[in-house]
Amino acid sequence: MARRRLVNIVASERTNSLVQGGLTVRSQNGLRLPELYKEIDQEKINNWAAISGDFNRLHVDPEYARTTSFGGTIAHGPMALAFLNELMMSWAGAKWAIGGRLLDVRFKAPIRPGERIKISGTIKGNCDLDGKPYTECEVYVQKPDGILAVVGRAFVPF
Amino acid sequence: MEERVTEKPELLFAELVPGRKFREFYFPVSDDLVQHYMNVVGDRHPLYWDATAFRAQGFTKPLAPPGLAAIYPRASYLQDHSMPSGGILVKQEFKFLSPAFVGDTLSVRATVASAEIDDKERKRVHFFIEAKNGDGEKISEVNIHAIWPK
Repeated sequence: MARRRLVNIVASERTNSLVQGGLTVRSQNGLRLPELYKEIDQEKINNWAAISGDFNRLHVDPEYARTTSFGGTIAHGPMALAFLNELMMSWAGAKWAIGGRLLDVRFKAPIRPGERIKISGTIKGNCDLDGKPYTECEVYVQKPDGILAVVGRAFVPF
Repeated sequence: MEERVTEKPELLFAELVPGRKFREFYFPVSDDLVQHYMNVVGDRHPLYWDATAFRAQGFTKPLAPPGLAAIYPRASYLQDHSMPSGGILVKQEFKFLSPAFVGDTLSVRATVASAEIDDKERKRVHFFIEAKNGDGEKISEVNIHAIWPK
């Protein structure tokens, strides 16, 4: 487990710099990350099954899924991870791809076909991970009723 | 990647002995795969396809989408098996260490870090997965925590 030392979690006036799309931007603690929205339908779920090789019937067989405790198909959990990676790439670009960390990602509620989900997060502050400086963000995937389907912590090196 | 789960034997909890290493899994990051990934996910970051964008960042080739790390870890421990129905993905973590590029073939190795029955009789499994790029550099570490169905 990486040793983690929060240096600045509440000092809202402090800022850090990130390279975004080739430009250096200054990001204040507490600032919201971009918001992405995705329409989830059965076709998208089937396409994820095809690219990931995960054809579990709970995801791709509506008739079978209706007989389970979920009452219908649900999206694959890793699809939400791909969306969180998209969020962090859109904000941090190459810094994410070559040094980002997505930690403690937990799956709290199923995402169902027909739902429009929001993917976003908040900058929490600066911290050290294994002696290197990172910006810490809380990230999430939110269902239309406000319930958080997936939550986690993203760390971007700076 | 399109392999139906019924074609392989199920990977059972009893086979998930801590320390077990699965055979190396090779994952080609082809142009077609990246195009498919961008279409399915909707993540069309220019660093994956736009020469002006990736050269401006000092890269000579397009970057592989980091989100592919949502795909290859699971595939690495299910090369010879299918996932029994009813499992629950509890937690997942990624560390990106070096860039992977379109055209690389990643070598991916999964290890069973732990497997235990908790106090509610749930079968908890933790996989640790490492991936290397074509130059042998480690590009990612992934931890997957799941409740195994049987």
